Amino acid sequence: MSEMFGEGGRGGLFVPRSRALVWFNLAATFVVAAISFGLGFWQGISAQIVILYTIVLAAVLFWLINYVAVIFESRAPSPETDNAAPAGVGGVWSGNRVLIVTMAVMLIVYLLITATVPSFRTLGNLIAFLLLEAILVFAFKVSNRFARGRSAFIGLIVLLALIVISSFTINGFLSAANIKAILLFAAFLGIACVGQTLVALLGGLDLSIPFVIGSSNIGLLFLIGLGVPSWLAVAFVLAIGAALGFLNGVLSYRLQGQALILTLGMGFSIAGLVQILTSIGSSFGGNVFGTVPKWLQNLAAMNGRTFGLAVPPTILLWIAIAIIVIVGLRYSAFGRYIYALGGNRRSAKLIGVSEFKYWTIAYAISGFSAALTGCLLLGWSGGGFIGVGDQYLFTTLAAVVIGGTSLMGGYGGYGYTVIGVLVLQVLSAFLIGIGLKYEWQQFIFGLLILPMVALYGRAPHIRAQV
Amino acid sequence: MSQSRGSQNTYLLVPILLIALLLSTAVIRGPNLVSLSGFGSAIIVSAPLILATFSLMALAVAGRGTVDLAVGPLLAFINVTIVKLNGLGIVTGPFGVFLVALGIGVLYQLFFALIIIFVRVQPIIVALSGFLALTGINLVILPRPGGTAPEWMASWGIGNTIFSPVLLIVLLAIAAWLLFTMTSFYANLRLMGYDERAAYTSGVRINVVRVGAHVIAGLFVGLGAICYTALIASGDPTQGTTMTLTAVTALVLGGVSLSGGRGGVAGGLLGALNLFLIGYVLATFNFGATQAFVTQLFYGLILVLSLLLTLLVPVIGRYLYFISPFAAFVVLGCVVVGIMLYVSTRDTYAVVAVAGGAFKQDADVMTRYLLLPVMQSGSGSVLPDLTTLQKTVFGFAAVLAVLTFTIRAIVAEAASVRLGAFIYVFVSALILLLFVVVGEQSHVPGTLATGQSSGSAP
Repeated sequence: MSEMFGEGGRGGLFVPRSRALVWFNLAATFVVAAISFGLGFWQGISAQIVILYTIVLAAVLFWLINYVAVIFESRAPSPETDNAAPAGVGGVWSGNRVLIVTMAVMLIVYLLITATVPSFRTLGNLIAFLLLEAILVFAFKVSNRFARGRSAFIGLIVLLALIVISSFTINGFLSAANIKAILLFAAFLGIACVGQTLVALLGGLDLSIPFVIGSSNIGLLFLIGLGVPSWLAVAFVLAIGAALGFLNGVLSYRLQGQALILTLGMGFSIAGLVQILTSIGSSFGGNVFGTVPKWLQNLAAMNGRTFGLAVPPTILLWIAIAIIVIVGLRYSAFGRYIYALGGNRRSAKLIGVSEFKYWTIAYAISGFSAALTGCLLLGWSGGGFIGVGDQYLFTTLAAVVIGGTSLMGGYGGYGYTVIGVLVLQVLSAFLIGIGLKYEWQQFIFGLLILPMVALYGRAPHIRAQV
Repeated sequence: MSQSRGSQNTYLLVPILLIALLLSTAVIRGPNLVSLSGFGSAIIVSAPLILATFSLMALAVAGRGTVDLAVGPLLAFINVTIVKLNGLGIVTGPFGVFLVALGIGVLYQLFFALIIIFVRVQPIIVALSGFLALTGINLVILPRPGGTAPEWMASWGIGNTIFSPVLLIVLLAIAAWLLFTMTSFYANLRLMGYDERAAYTSGVRINVVRVGAHVIAGLFVGLGAICYTALIASGDPTQGTTMTLTAVTALVLGGVSLSGGRGGVAGGLLGALNLFLIGYVLATFNFGATQAFVTQLFYGLILVLSLLLTLLVPVIGRYLYFISPFAAFVVLGCVVVGIMLYVSTRDTYAVVAVAGGAFKQDADVMTRYLLLPVMQSGSGSVLPDLTTLQKTVFGFAAVLAVLTFTIRAIVAEAASVRLGAFIYVFVSALILLLFVVVGEQSHVPGTLATGQSSGSAP
């Protein structure tokens, strides 16, 4: 995430200006490293691994602390002026009203549950509660100091807290199999979100993604069943997906305010058409049967292997795509023009950026990534199903929103979406782990989106817009 | 029908044209629609959709791109709550059920409005959040479709008559909105939807107006949920997403602008009816196993096409300003009614001819043209006991209404320079007369066969 946070750092090397701070950071790092060193030997892990981990931990920690210190240092003057408010109890109250009220409400809820449900009184829950309160304080007090990347910061903190809480409450949460499963599902969602992020950066929305996923899922299986070579079938489906996305872009170009509904209608049509096409001459009425080729299964299945590593290639594919998209958005002319158009159409046009071109390309990429997700999901499940993408209707949107990309366009990036995707998947795994059913998960997702967005995505008051 | 009025509502031309086409096709393809039970069930089936569309419409007019995606899950939420409370025996009476339904709708929308106003996040995010939360909680309340609606609702969903309580609810909702449009609050609402900053700077209390729009939307959703409960006579937590999608489609079909400031009850009603008719027409074709997919394809295509058509609204407004939507509605309405009369009477006569010519030559106009199938035994129709006095009263009222309308139209047209609605009314009366004549002709035994064959060809 480093590239998001600040160009304020000096060439990526974050060294605070004051000497004392550097020494303090070094000392803190040393203490933590020593503790982990001792713990490692106490647990009886072999010496080489302990030494390796300690060195890595120390390096990362030192870099992180310095980095945070630099960010606060460079923005130090502005909080001073803000804190000119009246001191004392009244000042504290007026400055932190929302925070205090929220914390009090959480405390009351916690106490109520603890008092009424005996099985709730565990150490894990207490730690989870304290962590939540700490996150709240952190989110309110610290994140204000970031000029940009606040949402990503909050998202990372939430992610960290979720992982800590989950590993306390759920046995085997940090096992390799579970992490692999979380990453695999995150990869599916993340690849589907590539297009949604780009489109959102331009101020549009693409709700045809789930339908394209489902259609490419059954379409690919149908083509393979017809005897088309599997690589050709995949290429064909991806090309069709991109073409449909392009069509979405062309049709919605003049109706940008209503792109949401237009893409929904397109999605309906696509799903209907593909189902008609696949059921012509078949007596199964839309059900497609066939065998998925081995390489596609290996690509996305849980026990897939990449060059002998026991990691499904989809995860590596996602990482590669993420790097390409993040770097591309940040450094290529294409990426910068997307931000320019999303930020201000008029000025972007005046410097000669073609709005039509970028709008349609963004939608074409969206169609392509959705088709790719559909193909990968076919490899994962081994059978075609039109409804396989249904849950992506709102989760792609939710991941983009939770990550912090503005739906109005011009602000955000794929890195943010990656955080959003991980938060969603880890939360989902946590909720499954504590035994909640799917409907409760959905309920909690719904309630989570609002406060996450409220922390960073608030519009200015109408007074400030006139 | 002055020019300003015409250009203001130009967006209604497209849905009006569409509904005329669809209704004609529907009547020709499935003549069963033109009967008491046909109309009755059509009203009951489309009522929840109509009210959900109204709810979306009220919010869309309020601007800021408010598309309440949660309208379907909210409707389902109220539905399952009613059924659950009824099952537990807590709330069973009509008063209580209405209170619960409207109360939940209003409370949710109030919450929605307060979040938009005070937390100041985009409405679409609040709607998304509500969608996910409500879809989840619906399944918690009622894991699978089931339960029973309150007993007093049982007769509502049968649909063998036009004048069901559901129709009353829909009519009341429409009347309430039309009354509401007369208030200055409505003017403020439209101003805010069209340009919020302008509204704010000209002293409109936008927060109050926004809360008002949401409360109205909540009332509509509550009524829609009651109609939905009456329709399915049980609880169904799974239909929320479908309802949202169809209601949004209906909203767009009705020409309501999603960017705010444009829309009305007529657009919402036409859109919902259009959508219902699309489903009806598609159901009359037999696509075999792919029926569901074809329906899906057409829903999507029509949604896209009608959205693209809204691009043409300014063009229509520029070149076709002399056609007022109201006049077009009258003309096309008469044409469609004519087709309906023709189709329904043709069937009546066909049945009679098969029965063996036991046709009452002097069957009066009331029974022949009130869309009622004449019983084969000749014992009379569903409306048998109209005394002479009643006929006189009804006839007098009809004549009075026609006279009033004509005179009003003449006066209005005299005030404007152009010859507008009056000529349309005249033309439509002629068309209607034509169909009456055709209907009269077709019961002559000699022409019956040709009328039958030519009628069934389209």
